[in-house]
Amino acid sequence: MAKKSKQAYRQAPWRKQLQSAGISLMPVIALAVLMAIYLMVSAEAAAAGLEIMEMHYEEEEILRIIANQRTDFAWRTSFNEMQKRAEKAGFEPAPMEAIHYMKITGYLGQNTVSLALPPNDGNDLAPIVNEYYQQSLWEWFSSTFLTSTSSREMNQ
Amino acid sequence: MKAVFSRLTLTGLVLSASSLLIILQMFHIQNSSKHQELSRWADEEYSFAKENYTPERGNIYDRWGRLLAGNEDIYEVGVMLEYVTNPDTIAQTLQGINNLSFQNIYEVASKSFNPEDSVYAVITDFLPSGVIDVLSDIKQTYEIENPYGKNKNEPSLRGLIWSSHLKRSYPENSLASNVLGFYSYRDRKEGKGFYGVEEYYNDLLAGNPMDTFMPRNPYLLEGLPHVPAGASLVLTIDREIQAMVEKKLDESIKEIEAESGTVIILDPHNGEVLAMATQPRVNLNEYWKYEEQFKDKTPFNRAISETYEPGSVYKVLTMAAAIDAGAVKEDTEFNDPGRFEYGGGIILNWDRRGHGRQTMQGCMQKSLNVCLAWVATELGKEKFYEYMSAFGIGQRTSIDLGGEKIWPLSVPGDSDWYPIQLATNSFGQGVAVTPIQLATAISAIANDGKMMKPHILKAIIQDGKQYDITPQVLGVPVQAKTAKTMTEMLVKSLVNESSLALVPGYSIAGKTGTAEIPVEGKYGTELTNASFVGWGPAQDPQFLIYVWLEKPKDSPWGSVVAAPLFSEIAKELVVYLNIPPDEVQQNLIAKEG
Repeated sequence: MAKKSKQAYRQAPWRKQLQSAGISLMPVIALAVLMAIYLMVSAEAAAAGLEIMEMHYEEEEILRIIANQRTDFAWRTSFNEMQKRAEKAGFEPAPMEAIHYMKITGYLGQNTVSLALPPNDGNDLAPIVNEYYQQSLWEWFSSTFLTSTSSREMNQ
Repeated sequence: MKAVFSRLTLTGLVLSASSLLIILQMFHIQNSSKHQELSRWADEEYSFAKENYTPERGNIYDRWGRLLAGNEDIYEVGVMLEYVTNPDTIAQTLQGINNLSFQNIYEVASKSFNPEDSVYAVITDFLPSGVIDVLSDIKQTYEIENPYGKNKNEPSLRGLIWSSHLKRSYPENSLASNVLGFYSYRDRKEGKGFYGVEEYYNDLLAGNPMDTFMPRNPYLLEGLPHVPAGASLVLTIDREIQAMVEKKLDESIKEIEAESGTVIILDPHNGEVLAMATQPRVNLNEYWKYEEQFKDKTPFNRAISETYEPGSVYKVLTMAAAIDAGAVKEDTEFNDPGRFEYGGGIILNWDRRGHGRQTMQGCMQKSLNVCLAWVATELGKEKFYEYMSAFGIGQRTSIDLGGEKIWPLSVPGDSDWYPIQLATNSFGQGVAVTPIQLATAISAIANDGKMMKPHILKAIIQDGKQYDITPQVLGVPVQAKTAKTMTEMLVKSLVNESSLALVPGYSIAGKTGTAEIPVEGKYGTELTNASFVGWGPAQDPQFLIYVWLEKPKDSPWGSVVAAPLFSEIAKELVVYLNIPPDEVQQNLIAKEG
């Protein structure tokens, strides 16, 4: 009787083969998955690298364009050009006798030039990279779960 | 079943053995010295692209942010020799541009290609974008008609390429050229700043050219190489004032037939140079022609590089020193006989006459050499030269412009000093200064005795930050009380003599100067240096103007040629600087009080 029941639960040989084949293929599949992930990440890294390279050349070009346009604007607004335009528009220099000094309350005269930020104003340009891309997995885990848990506890 | 297993085993063994061999070979490659060397070489040669990066040269602005020197995009045109199919078309298309001849271009374009040392050849450089647009259109048209230049009998610009780069550009052409100097942009490898701001601040403007290494392996690229651009400079110069001064100076030089002229406008409170004009000037966009303008060692900027005997304007320093030391007072009287013997020499007045009893006020007003020589002797030689040294005579002002010159001041004890020099120096003879030296020295009188360092730089812009320059005190040669007394004396002098330097509505202090120019060591010729120094408004001076006209033919006198130019400039300056007339100012103070 006992022999019979043992036979009843015995698996079919093809199932056993399939099981052993599956077990032996598991590492291969895992390895393949890992390689696929690695390949995907590498491809993305390479694409980002190429993009950086392109941006480098693009940056150079943009800087040249900015410099060129700034200078072009200066040529168009140079003293001689502005004088010609003023004359063309019918303006002429006022004689000293025709100039009267008027005090305008609140007017403090032309502001001193400020072409850039003053030093130490706290607006230093930081790398514009999202902080998520600068975190390790552990840092993300810690900031998302551990810190928030502890801060919740603190609040309570 | 057994046979299948054996075949499988055999296949497994073969594959395992092959894998093992591959792994062994990999080990061999990794560890073989020959292969390691090859790997290192490949790494060095091909892993990184080395680029020599020259940062953009910093801009130069006037005090209100108007661009005086910038950079513009310009093109180099050349040929990739491997791809040239029709050098004849290239030569025909480009001939005449930048004065290039057909033959010159043809020779370059028909050079034979050699991958080792002859890949690319430059035809010309510094072409504006307009020319490139035309070339691009022509090239495209030919390419449509004759694709890839396959038919060598048909025109084709195949192989002709252009690349852009920046060149220095001066939108105001010759305006303030003596102050700015120039950058020799035509020399693309060794270009540098010459004269003025471009020379003095060359290192700041140029930034740090450096070699950058760009990895060819995209995995190694983590960021862009950061090469900071050259710093930009904001000057104290006001473009409008500079243009006005240059125009007035040019007109005056033409009218009085002077050889040259110089005008400096300073803010005596902080030493800022608002304008500095001189002749000749050069169009900085054609800087290579400057030698045509500056012949016979003519200095690029007379205001800082040409020393001369200043004459009577120097009396301001002598009188200030004597009053400050207590040797004389404003109302001290001197009986002027018209002649003063001292140190083995005889001093005469400018009109060779005596003027009788005069106060110090009268001596300054009539500009009496005899009186000032007496004043200097009353002060004593030690004190006199101590004061002159305190005023910076014989020393550099250290103005931030390239090419400042000085003439050393001879003092007692020097081998080239003689006793008569105390008398002659007192009225500006036997002593040589640059206009900036004397303007700086006299600015102490206009600023309560405090002499500020003259400077041209107002702020530096670097890495996106603006750093303002703090004015520096050079010294305090006289007390504030003395400075005020001198200013009052000189205001009265101008009013009493109805000077041509007066500005209606404003109290101006000033002094004329007419110095004979020695020819072969002898005075007495008609050649003079005519000058005028003035400041105002007297109660709170906002400007100091120094005018120097060289060898005027119309009249030799400073009071006739230099004083009117001062007045012309000052009249416009008070408007530019929003300075209220004295009456308005007093009313405003009364209302606020």
